[in-house]
Amino acid sequence: MTKIWRETGFVENDPWVIETDEVKATEEQKPLLGLDELIAKADESNDVGLGVLIKPADDVRRLEPYLDRLEIVAVAFPAFNDGRAFSHASLLRQRLGYTNELRAVGDVLIDQVPLMLRVGIDSFAVTNATALKRLSENRLPAIPHHYQPAVRDADAGKGYSWRRQAKPAA
Amino acid sequence: MYRYDEFDHAFVSERVEQFRDQVQRRLSGELAEDAFKPLRLMNGVYLQLHAYMLRIAIPYGTLSARQLRMLAHIARTYDRGYGHFTTRQNLQFNWPKLSDIPDALADLASVEMHALQTSGNCIRNVTADHFAGAAADEIADPRPYAEILRQWSSVHPEFSFLPRKFKIAVTGAERDRAAIQVHDIGLHVKKNDKGEIGFAVYVGGGQGRTPMIAKLIRDFLPEEDLLSYTTAIVRVYNLHGRRDNKYKARIKILVHETGTEELTRQVEAEFAALKDSELKLPEKDVQAIAAYFAPPALPERAEGWENLARWKKADAGFARWVQQNVQPHKNPDYGMVTISLKPIGGIPGDASDAQMDAIADLAEEYGFDEIRVSHEQNLILPHVALADLEAVYRGLVAINLAEANAGLITDIIACPGLDYCALANARSIPLAQEISRRFGNAERQAEIGELKIKISGCINACGHHHVGHIGLLGVEKKGAELYQITLGGSGDEHTSIGEIIGRGFEPDRVTDAIETIVDTYLGLRLDHSENFLAAYRRVGPQPFKTALYGSAAEAA
Repeated sequence: MTKIWRETGFVENDPWVIETDEVKATEEQKPLLGLDELIAKADESNDVGLGVLIKPADDVRRLEPYLDRLEIVAVAFPAFNDGRAFSHASLLRQRLGYTNELRAVGDVLIDQVPLMLRVGIDSFAVTNATALKRLSENRLPAIPHHYQPAVRDADAGKGYSWRRQAKPAA
Repeated sequence: MYRYDEFDHAFVSERVEQFRDQVQRRLSGELAEDAFKPLRLMNGVYLQLHAYMLRIAIPYGTLSARQLRMLAHIARTYDRGYGHFTTRQNLQFNWPKLSDIPDALADLASVEMHALQTSGNCIRNVTADHFAGAAADEIADPRPYAEILRQWSSVHPEFSFLPRKFKIAVTGAERDRAAIQVHDIGLHVKKNDKGEIGFAVYVGGGQGRTPMIAKLIRDFLPEEDLLSYTTAIVRVYNLHGRRDNKYKARIKILVHETGTEELTRQVEAEFAALKDSELKLPEKDVQAIAAYFAPPALPERAEGWENLARWKKADAGFARWVQQNVQPHKNPDYGMVTISLKPIGGIPGDASDAQMDAIADLAEEYGFDEIRVSHEQNLILPHVALADLEAVYRGLVAINLAEANAGLITDIIACPGLDYCALANARSIPLAQEISRRFGNAERQAEIGELKIKISGCINACGHHHVGHIGLLGVEKKGAELYQITLGGSGDEHTSIGEIIGRGFEPDRVTDAIETIVDTYLGLRLDHSENFLAAYRRVGPQPFKTALYGSAAEAA
């Protein structure tokens, strides 16, 4: 059972669906389109509030002209050890200036969630039982001291320009 | 040397606790081995043939006496009383229990050490010239840059799940002792015409089953751009490196398949966007890090010159050791001492807890509290007064580590091989021991001169056989071990990959084959000053082929 988690808690009635041959978005739901599909749809309509699924081999920079029409970008982790989506997320946030929802889908494990948060991912489609349990208890295995700047806003870390420290929870 | 501040201490202890939690989840079964694997690897824990193996990071190979004593303590407490220094300037323990590892890591943290990123598909421990800060030929100390890279790469959120491991090496001298051209990124610290510091940047070198020499993609990168340029390279690699085949996943394959020109274009484009970001290094931070590496104040010790001459005359063994294992220091009253971890017939790179303790004592008393690990699996005391060499030598004789063989034929690099490693096809250690015994005679070694033998027990090339003057690669053929010989490799500023000389040799014949090669060299060299590599480069493989396989052997 996949649930959507954000730092504010689990999200009910999330509308976004990755369509397959068996699964299609219902009336109340919305599909996460493939990159080519999204570009085609955006070019031939004035639709806004779109969602796209970025696969590891996609060039995320192709989204640049369509950013203001996107409500969500999902980046795929087909396996926990495929780390391309960390770079996609960094580029979306830092290079392209995308500010709406950025979701991790696929093999989302608890030990990777803190890293995903740091590259600007703010929404997680989670299936793994341990991850669901830990997230429900709000127990993230995070390290608050960072040796490098990243997307997520952080305080300057003591010492050198490249260091950062996680902001205390509000 | 670098000292942890509060930030570093907090980070490392948080990391130990994070890993303790992961180990507990693994031991309770909550975490499956396949999901635990990348986590333990990033904390230096391998699952080997017989047990877990813990690989401890020794950043750019620099240790204090206190740290070396802690390594001895860990060897005694959690292992079997010895450790193995590796070609990555690290230390491996071969027998720790998984449940003990968090405690061992906590002990390490108490002396500003860790096992972070000594494994896994992330940016590994950054290596540097083991004579950094002491060598007479140095332009600038590479260690401040290695330390900045170490910090920046630690638990990097974007680069913790790369296609494959990623190794960076830094040298600050024209004479490359860090083998930077066989690393994923090699940095050569240099000065431009205006006297400003920068880096020549090499990308895509590596050994393994597809050895490649790195390509120069930037002749002079300004110091302030170190982190933004490195980020650009690693990002291009993370996005485009192959993930379909782990044997083609290193950046060297990406460079090769993309082409150096196109890859350079991609890196430069990414760099252009990152150049003025928060990654730009402020001069004051570089200075602050560099201050940690200021050389110790070395008092004048001119009496050493006269003493040395006298001692050498009185003791031929000491004279040989000075000749072979002591190199010129920036300060003429001092020398750089190589402590050979290659006693005749011993296991290359191994040291017992008692030996580590004794070396720590020597470093404290005579070596300004500094020890280095070389990628050739030896230890170095980088600052020893000539006047103290005799005392250091006596101390090393007492622990059986005074072999005068640095750079000679018995100074062999060998991977752990089939005795420990889950990947190996053949044994490396027993072969190294046999070769060491065969050529162990001091006069004979000195007569042969500089000759680097490197042994790998499988194609992954941890023993660096590709860059051995004589390289030995263990392979498995029809269930039996066989050793393939390569000649002419070198891992310095004139890097070359050794060429396979012909069909392999069985374990009981391979040492004879080496002897044949050595005798052939001795017969054809111009004089004693033409070392094996120079002679091989002059004459090529044919004389060696003929000697090994008879006149029927054709040039392959």
